[in-house]
Amino acid sequence: MAQSIADVCIVGVGCTGGILAKELSSSGLKVVGFERGPAPKKIDYAPRDSIRFLVRTEQLEWVRHEPTTTRKKAGEAARLQYRTSPLNVLGGALLHWTGQVSRYLPGDFKLYTNEILSGNAERAGADLTGYDIIDWPLSYDDLEPYYERFEWEFGVSGHAGTNPFAGPRKRGYPLPPLRHSARMELFAEACKQLGYHPYDTPAGILSQPYRPPPPFDTRIRERPACVYCGHCNFYGCHVHAKAATLYTTIPVAVETGNFDLRTNCKVFRVNSDSAGQVTGVSYFDPDGQVHEQRARVVILCAFMFEHVRLLLLSKTDTGRFAKGLANTSGYVGRNILAHGDVRAMGLFGAFIINGFIGPGSAAMRIDDFNGNNFDHAGLGFIRGGTIGTSGDGTPVTRIDVLPPGVRSWGQEFKKYYTRYYTRTMDLNMQPETLPHKANRVDLDPRHRDRWGLPLPRVTFDFHQNEHRLQKFMAGVGEKIMSATGADKVWTEGKGRPNRWAGGTRMGADPKSSIVNEHCQTHDVPNLFIVGSSVFPSMSGYPPTATIAALSYRTAEYILSQKQWFA
Amino acid sequence: MNSNKNKRQSSKALTRTEARTLEAIAERIFPKTDTPGAVEAGALDYINLALAGDYAKLLPLYRRGLRAVDRHARRKLGAKFMHLDAEQKDVILADFEAGEVSDFKPAAEFFKTVRYHVLEGVFCEPQYGGNKDMMGWRLVNFPGQQFGYPDPYINERVDLPPIAVDYEAAEED
Repeated sequence: MAQSIADVCIVGVGCTGGILAKELSSSGLKVVGFERGPAPKKIDYAPRDSIRFLVRTEQLEWVRHEPTTTRKKAGEAARLQYRTSPLNVLGGALLHWTGQVSRYLPGDFKLYTNEILSGNAERAGADLTGYDIIDWPLSYDDLEPYYERFEWEFGVSGHAGTNPFAGPRKRGYPLPPLRHSARMELFAEACKQLGYHPYDTPAGILSQPYRPPPPFDTRIRERPACVYCGHCNFYGCHVHAKAATLYTTIPVAVETGNFDLRTNCKVFRVNSDSAGQVTGVSYFDPDGQVHEQRARVVILCAFMFEHVRLLLLSKTDTGRFAKGLANTSGYVGRNILAHGDVRAMGLFGAFIINGFIGPGSAAMRIDDFNGNNFDHAGLGFIRGGTIGTSGDGTPVTRIDVLPPGVRSWGQEFKKYYTRYYTRTMDLNMQPETLPHKANRVDLDPRHRDRWGLPLPRVTFDFHQNEHRLQKFMAGVGEKIMSATGADKVWTEGKGRPNRWAGGTRMGADPKSSIVNEHCQTHDVPNLFIVGSSVFPSMSGYPPTATIAALSYRTAEYILSQKQWFA
Repeated sequence: MNSNKNKRQSSKALTRTEARTLEAIAERIFPKTDTPGAVEAGALDYINLALAGDYAKLLPLYRRGLRAVDRHARRKLGAKFMHLDAEQKDVILADFEAGEVSDFKPAAEFFKTVRYHVLEGVFCEPQYGGNKDMMGWRLVNFPGQQFGYPDPYINERVDLPPIAVDYEAAEED
């Protein structure tokens, strides 16, 4: 069944879709938003129930019917993986994220220039065989005003000027930092002793009640301050202090009357014509019936796995898009990225941490070992990562945080846990992963989702630069933890992939990238892709602030193309 | 979605014999000392409810694993698991933990699963059947699912009486 033509069709109404929906519908464009998950009620995400959300990870029910498959390298059989980062629900993963908001470092956008052309990689003695490193086609300065929009519309708590490595900013944070916890105090003290530069991690969590002031969008409703309950990661926030589009930008978009939101509707194909333009999308409605929605512009706003899958599924039988929509370069699915988090743990005999008091993103961090902020000469790797406090955790989720040598059950465990549950803390290191040719997403040849569509198959492993960097970062973490006065320090030095990006990267060269600086595909002018999938390289920071900034910037570009909607 | 569904279920997944063996295991995983252990905390009720609900898929592993525990105990030490003394029980469980049980390949997986579930039963929200009177939380000085913390409690014991999540209130808050 064909329906009337929309100005814009948004596929996925989470972080990026929730921002773009507001921006575009507010300017009078008729926007249709497709969300494959439901519109959740508070009872679905907010109760402080650690069995339901942390142990049985109920929010992931929304993705369990659409898992990925994973393997370490080509040639291996891929196995079903149910615990992935996206959340198939209105508002997306912002519902259950931790809330760490960081602008990238100016150098994070120029890896090729700063690491390879500059001779830095050579000085470091890094082996970059197999990597595929390019610059972003935009700079920190290009994104700066849009970082600001995100920070002021959603309410970010932070302390501008305290991180000597941060890029320049025109405006401070709208809110002061969150209250300091025991772990923040211990970490800051230890870092100062060691000559590092601790700062309050900017948090997408309100330290005070907040509503955006002019000149920002005052239609966004006021939200209360964080109550420090400690139920952030894998929960939705019960007071709505955590930044999420579900209760900020999405209601504003709906109130414009120009946003037609269709939940439980799964887009499975982006349609294109013989002229090489996209014409709209095909989707399953909640009853599994197939429909078509025509549109002048289509924006993919889903998770990075899904962007790759959708482009590959939207291939045409013949012609330019026979390898996948917008894939004349053959780069769709390539160079996927993740952090390889490593941890250092400390145990305190004479100091009570109470790590369950939240939020996890009330944290201190250092950037002394992030990006290119330190001398890499002779280290054997390039780049770095952030180091900071992490945590929260109810008793049921900390039972594996045990120093080596302590038995994990019996009287010994009981004695340990009853004494030390409130007396441990963690540092989390987020070393970046370089874009590697072997890391990619494609269509799984065997496994299918409940609609019969091939699942995204993730082929990912860490390579030589990551191994060296992760080991180095674990060592720095151990050193800092020792300086906190912990009685016992131990590390988890093997990186775990976390926070995915890449797969439809942006670049200046259409032969080796999918989108340009406006998140517009090189091949199809009326097709946009917004999200971490466009990142050509990672950073030591979580990706959300940059994803959000790109959303605002892309919205502005689309609105400037008035001829499309005349 | 599935809020509070365990509370409404009364069916027990394990037979009486299976439950008694499991109880003996739970007692060794988190024993009663001068403070209560897993059995007093209700870990058995927790597991029984979970195996009749969200963990139903694990029931076959439990069935086979519990039989293997008795089999291994008889073969190695000449008696059913529950009749061994504490030290002997730990020897048997250590074999499972290490995966060193010749006729039961998933021994390590079974041990790991049971350990998680027993400890979940000690530290869960009480509505799931375990952590009776929030005794697990009291043992580790966790004040439960507080609405929030007005103070940072830096190097200070949190002396609030523990509270469990209140689903009635959660609908509104």
